[in-house]
Amino acid sequence: MSKSHFADDRIQSLDIMVALPSIVIGVGILSFPSTLAQSTKFADGWVVVILGGLISIFFTWAVTKLGAKFPHQSFYSYASHLVSKPVASIIILLFSLNGIFLTAFEVSMIGFISHQYLFEQTPREVVSIAFFLAVIYAVAGSRSGIFRINLLFSPLIFLISFILIFFSINFMDVDHLLPLFKTGMDGYVEGTIQSALSYSGFGVLFFYIAFVCDPEKVPKRAVAGMSSVVCLYLFIYLTCIAVFGHAPTGEIRWPFIELAQSVEIPGGFFERIEAVFFTIWITAIFTTAMIGFDITILALQMIFPKRDKIVLIFILAPIIFFISLLPKNYMENHYFDIFIGYVSWLLPMIVVILFWIMYRIKGGLENGK
Amino acid sequence: MTRRSLFRRSKVKSAMKRDNQEETINEPKITTDLDENMKTIKDVLGNPADLVVRELIIGEIETRAAIVYLSGITEEDLLNDNIMKAIQQNLKRFDDDLLENIRKEVIAVTDIKNSNDFDDVCLAVLNGDSAFYLDGSQEVLLMGTSGGQNRSIEEPDTETLIRGPRDGFVESMNTNMALIRRDIKIPNLRFEQHTVGGRSKQKLVVCHVEGLAHPELVEEVNRRIKSIDLDYVTDSSFVEQWIEDSFLSPFPQVLDTERPDVVSASVMQGKVGIIVDGSPFALIAPMTFNDGLSSPEDYTQRWLAASSLRLLRFLAAFIAIFLPGLYVALATFHPGMIPSTLAYSIAASREGVPFPAVIEAILMALTFELLHEAGIRLPNVIGQTIGIVGGLVIGEAAVNAGIVSPIMVIITALTAIASFSIPSYSLSMGLRTLRFIALLAAGTLGLYGIILVFIMIVAHIVNLKSFGIPYTAPFGPLYLQDLKDGIIRVPMTDLPRQTAHLKMSDAEFEHAPNEKRKNKKR
Repeated sequence: MSKSHFADDRIQSLDIMVALPSIVIGVGILSFPSTLAQSTKFADGWVVVILGGLISIFFTWAVTKLGAKFPHQSFYSYASHLVSKPVASIIILLFSLNGIFLTAFEVSMIGFISHQYLFEQTPREVVSIAFFLAVIYAVAGSRSGIFRINLLFSPLIFLISFILIFFSINFMDVDHLLPLFKTGMDGYVEGTIQSALSYSGFGVLFFYIAFVCDPEKVPKRAVAGMSSVVCLYLFIYLTCIAVFGHAPTGEIRWPFIELAQSVEIPGGFFERIEAVFFTIWITAIFTTAMIGFDITILALQMIFPKRDKIVLIFILAPIIFFISLLPKNYMENHYFDIFIGYVSWLLPMIVVILFWIMYRIKGGLENGK
Repeated sequence: MTRRSLFRRSKVKSAMKRDNQEETINEPKITTDLDENMKTIKDVLGNPADLVVRELIIGEIETRAAIVYLSGITEEDLLNDNIMKAIQQNLKRFDDDLLENIRKEVIAVTDIKNSNDFDDVCLAVLNGDSAFYLDGSQEVLLMGTSGGQNRSIEEPDTETLIRGPRDGFVESMNTNMALIRRDIKIPNLRFEQHTVGGRSKQKLVVCHVEGLAHPELVEEVNRRIKSIDLDYVTDSSFVEQWIEDSFLSPFPQVLDTERPDVVSASVMQGKVGIIVDGSPFALIAPMTFNDGLSSPEDYTQRWLAASSLRLLRFLAAFIAIFLPGLYVALATFHPGMIPSTLAYSIAASREGVPFPAVIEAILMALTFELLHEAGIRLPNVIGQTIGIVGGLVIGEAAVNAGIVSPIMVIITALTAIASFSIPSYSLSMGLRTLRFIALLAAGTLGLYGIILVFIMIVAHIVNLKSFGIPYTAPFGPLYLQDLKDGIIRVPMTDLPRQTAHLKMSDAEFEHAPNEKRKNKKR
């Protein structure tokens, strides 16, 4: 109602630390062990998981460090300082397109996976739109609310992952992990690209860092957040390989969900854990879609500052839903996935490199200008 | 939502102001003539049966005077012994300013004040005070004689504890303030009085500890209370619904309690208490979701037991919303997820039940709500009948007749028990409403629907605020210190003195009065 001491929309660096895993962890991780197993041999994927992780951690650091040089400045304001206003507008437009595609992809993916694990008959469109309505509801709320959702859901996501890993210890076969280092150089290079792609999402930091009240702490916290993702991915990858073996992992579409199918929780009240697991995992997919949508709106509001948030949401929602219905089958969606992966990696990567070069040339922005 | 409500409130307020101005034109006044004064007050009050106008002559001075009061809400013993007797048996003579001397030397009442405004006099008489009119004087003495029959302090019915203080609030605001004052013996305890109710002019007190409560919070509470525009406030819940942030939400954003110890503890945490005259329920603001699930018992029991109870209540909140929905989802959409033996027994028990599981669940939930509602309306004596009707007729007979399955009865009972184990009744009511939404979602989309409802509920409560404090406070915006009193309650020695999300920043701390600084030194 009124602006009081507590009621500000500023977020803390801690929220960034939690938001990063929330956007990175989504549907990518479900198929991630499978893609890696296709390019590397045996358990050698751990090398590329870490390599890809280090690359993403580096870029995360680069983005946040740059953002911290311009404390409390919106992306638009420091981007137009570094690379003139028209270029900044184009970059922001690209980011918002990226956000639209990312959200649409998550929405359509929900439909495909639900068909496999939850219901066969319900039309994919109904499943998708129910999910998308929840996303719209969350995005229509306050921005600090979005960060609070991340804070509440991320423990749940990490917890369910570790429970799954813990209960699959019984089914692990160490022989599946050996021998070591059998992959050729090509495999490592391809695998590193593949694994780096699944860490995409650090681009959102460009936008969110403006709202942080303690920007100087953000690089450290963001790196910590990204590292937690890398650790989680590593554990999940190794567990999948140890349980299924190298070749079968490559064949399975979503090894992480199948992992849930193979484990048995002692005392077993639930039999098909994978449905429960996937149901809870929907929260992870939800946070990714929510942040993707929010970034789109945040970016568009920079270009069209006079438009109301709700108006933007209602204009964008049908477009996003339409795009999400475009992939007709899983394979088409898979290509969509690869496209999204490249776009949401290359865009922030190019932008951050460009910005750093311009920053070295032009120097920082003095306060008040 | 907020914008609309704000607009409405301010519009109504300005309309009210206009009304008041029009009313003030023909205002009755106090004159020097006693008979005329008596006539005025009788006219304004309509000469009701409980209005007592006692005319008397002051001893020695032999001047006419009158005492006006309403019987029943006045302490007549005090009036007879200390006022009537003293005036009639007066032996002194006074030369100048008769009224002032009577006030000083004759009347033996502590709370006494002068007034020459008719509205003041009228309001005082309606509050149970007595008015002393002296012939020839335009001033009236108002004597604090309010009292009369009140309920005595009893153990609260709604929030019983195994261990903890046994006193509860009553309908009298003065008693309630005294109960808090007795708990908090520090000079910084503040009671700020407001008047609510455009016509009924009821008293309301905002209570906080200066130096602990954030000044902006206190200011905001006062501002919202001033914006209240109601003719008559029956209970503190009227105030609650008027001042809460989002009145469309199913979640209560102001905590209500019947226990003075809860108010005292909250006020010492830096929250603000609101007491309304005539209501045994005090309000506490701000409230977080966690507050709705904590009970004073959490602090009187040892930490391990208290922590497990907290966890149990979080589970209870989950069950209260989602259990019937989960059952419906599992039974209709995902029967493969239930262990086969249980699945068989569920299928066997559902054999012959004519309805799908959703309808069955909604029927049973409605029946339970009916029983609950009827149980509240019935007097205690017949109350047991409802138990028999509910337990035997609905439970046994419905199952035997094959209308519902036994498992559904278990689910309904479990949900009911869970919803009653939530300490805040208004929170529990909110959760019970959400249960129907979860049921419908489960009936249409199974587990997927349930998780979407869960996500929507979370998305709703993270955007809720109670007086600027986020509703999901210790978890939502993360306050690591406050997690010690979140899902678990750590041992008393480790408990933070004041919850972090209510604390003032250090700069403000320097300007705050002594109390806070003392706290820090310790």
